[in-house]
Amino acid sequence: MSSELNILALYGLFTALILILKVSGATGQLGMGYLLSSRDEGRTLTGITGRLDRALTNSITAMALFAPAILILHAKGAFSGESLTAAQVFLVVRVLYVPAYGFGITGIRTALWLAGFAATVLLHLMALMAP
Amino acid sequence: MTPELSALALAGLLQVVQYILMAVPANLELGPGYTASPRDRPPSREMSKTTGRLIRAMDNHFEGLILFTIAVVVVTLGGQATGFTAACGWTYLAARILYIPAYALGWRPWRSAIWGIGFLATVAMILAALI
Repeated sequence: MSSELNILALYGLFTALILILKVSGATGQLGMGYLLSSRDEGRTLTGITGRLDRALTNSITAMALFAPAILILHAKGAFSGESLTAAQVFLVVRVLYVPAYGFGITGIRTALWLAGFAATVLLHLMALMAP
Repeated sequence: MTPELSALALAGLLQVVQYILMAVPANLELGPGYTASPRDRPPSREMSKTTGRLIRAMDNHFEGLILFTIAVVVVTLGGQATGFTAACGWTYLAARILYIPAYALGWRPWRSAIWGIGFLATVAMILAALI
């Protein structure tokens, strides 16, 4: 398996881990009874769990943009040193993004998000320009 | 087409079905005057319990589907497809089909158990691709 696909797989696992963390936090906050119910009345998560919930939503949005770039590069056989670096940067900053959100490190979180977004845009540009 | 890709295509179609299952009652209950508007204010009429559940089931499947897409992509493009990953793909699809009546009819705690099966099948596929 190519390194870029490995990174995509690792990012998938990481997102699954954040989901598990969020569910554990939600179990403590809202109670197992509520989670198992049909949740007909909405309840809001607060504190670190609320932040994890928002970080998870953001991670999933980022994944939906990142995955097609990798897919197109693979289909075109256009993986390069540059695409590997961009994918590695994406993975590292997206992993750091979650604790930055969880601990409320303002500024750094946004910078990490921007770096991940820029890496994704670069990958899409590489995918577009590849023959 | 490989079994994993077939399961992915069917899961995509399942999401189309979920759209319809949610949109038809939502339009009937809120009125097309509201749903066709820019929705700048919250709706004046309330949706039924079941419609709310169908909306949450669809939102949840978006999350599940993007992770499953990653799993299928890394397994397929990484050349890691086996009988095990094919079984995981079909398990995911079956779980996500059952998840809809489980949510709509309030099968408790089975909805959560069914969700867990789909989630585990996805994670198992990503792990199988990485190992």
